[in-house]
Amino acid sequence: GAAMMKSDKQWYQRRVRGLLTRASSVFYDYATEQFTTVKVDGGDCLVTKVGSLDSAKRFVDPTTSKSFTYNFLKNEASEVEEVPRDTNVEGWREAVQSALKGYLDEVYPAHVSAVYANLADDMINLTICIEDHKYNPANFWNGKWKSKWEVSFPTAGGHSKVTGNMRVQVHYYEDGNVQLLTNKEVEESVQLSSPAEGAAHIVQFIKSSETAYQIAINENYHKMSDTTFKALRRNLPITQSLIDWHKLQSLKVGKDIMNR
Amino acid sequence: MNHGQQLDCALDLMRRLPPQDIEKNLSDLIDLVPDLCEDLLASVDQPLKIAKDKKSNKDYLLCDYNRDGDSYRSPWSNEYDPPIEDGSIPSDRIRKFEIEANFAFDLYREQYYEGGISSCYFWDLENGSGFAGAILIKKTGDSGNKLFKGSWDSIHVIEVQEKGAGRNAHYKLISTVMLWLHNSRAESGSFELGGSLSRQAEKDSAVSDMSSHIVNIGQMIEKMENNIRGILDTIYFGKTAEIMNKTRSLVDLKGRAKMDELNKQMAEALKQKQNQTPNKTAQ
Repeated sequence: GAAMMKSDKQWYQRRVRGLLTRASSVFYDYATEQFTTVKVDGGDCLVTKVGSLDSAKRFVDPTTSKSFTYNFLKNEASEVEEVPRDTNVEGWREAVQSALKGYLDEVYPAHVSAVYANLADDMINLTICIEDHKYNPANFWNGKWKSKWEVSFPTAGGHSKVTGNMRVQVHYYEDGNVQLLTNKEVEESVQLSSPAEGAAHIVQFIKSSETAYQIAINENYHKMSDTTFKALRRNLPITQSLIDWHKLQSLKVGKDIMNR
Repeated sequence: MNHGQQLDCALDLMRRLPPQDIEKNLSDLIDLVPDLCEDLLASVDQPLKIAKDKKSNKDYLLCDYNRDGDSYRSPWSNEYDPPIEDGSIPSDRIRKFEIEANFAFDLYREQYYEGGISSCYFWDLENGSGFAGAILIKKTGDSGNKLFKGSWDSIHVIEVQEKGAGRNAHYKLISTVMLWLHNSRAESGSFELGGSLSRQAEKDSAVSDMSSHIVNIGQMIEKMENNIRGILDTIYFGKTAEIMNKTRSLVDLKGRAKMDELNKQMAEALKQKQNQTPNKTAQ
């Protein structure tokens, strides 16, 4: 009777809560993996794992030095707070951010980026996240460029390895479902003697890597359209005309007669 | 949510998920809603798998239309592998037609694909109004150095409504072509361009005997595949490349903005000059 119904309701609530908990960790992984952009006090900021603070719902934007709570379902930022800058690393962080902006403005129509920096065990760790997307759901397509660059070096400077991961994703889904998924990892040693000089070297490496990658992707398109695609199925038979199905049909009849 | 609504949601979700993970997404979805299993397997297209008919040593393609439980029927031997009791097979009339169709589409395949595998499966319609079939073609290829690889899977589902005591027929065709392209050149890292497009067509045609259906269906599928091939070319190599190049520019945007501004100023200056010059029309 009534007792049964109450336990049914509790069972249902537990199931829904369970689903939402699983779902929220999926959303967290998805949003941070994708470098989702969100408006914070009117400016675009990135939601990334690197920028995540302890609770997995609060994130920091190093450009404005603000932290915020992120709502995955609504793609909204709230409870925005000022965060004091880390003077141990800010010189380097700001130098890289400034050099980066000059480059981003050259090639990205609508870039959103973040330069994170921290100090640990006398090593400065820099992480640079870049994204640019174009969403057009009305025409059933969207595309995104995403890259992440990391370097660690001693506070006194020196020679260090910069590693990068670049990723492009395009989705077209009108009367179908087509995706371009491509990513590339690179690394190079750069000289990091001073913030200004080091920043210039880092950004130069990013620029040359990303440009070469985009050129290679375009080359793939030309090559695949010219060779791989054509080799899968011809435009027309060798005769250069459509098949005569009546004639093709008669071949079978001929074969039958031969078999009698 | 009722069964029909669940299926619509599931299909909608499948359409938006990365096509590279079709099999994983499909099995995750089936875990979530087990009783959608049968319906889902019938509606969502997966890349075609190949099996070998041990009797004739010929390959055939696997799909939901030659599946019964966990066994698949070979179009060559008309037998199930692994063998099952009372596996669903076409009537004698349709099996005879199926043999003819496999022969015809083998020739069609050779002319357009110069290789690959094709398989046709036909069945009677339950209400006795006609018959239906699935015509499948698979072709794979790679460059000599294996850096470029590709595969093409066609799935054509045709419904034939027989009318006017067998002298007319109404054909409904739903075609899906899956195209997958991979590239492993170091310069472009890991590169995958893949997915599918679907189109439909309908027509009425005169029929004199069962062989007429081969001609009518063949013409429809040939026209459809040529059409889809063109669209694939445009979408894969045109549209997706265009979208990719919108997210990052190979042209210096600041330089281009300066050029645009310069062009604009020159156009203005030219216009002003034209307004000052007296109009020298014939007098």
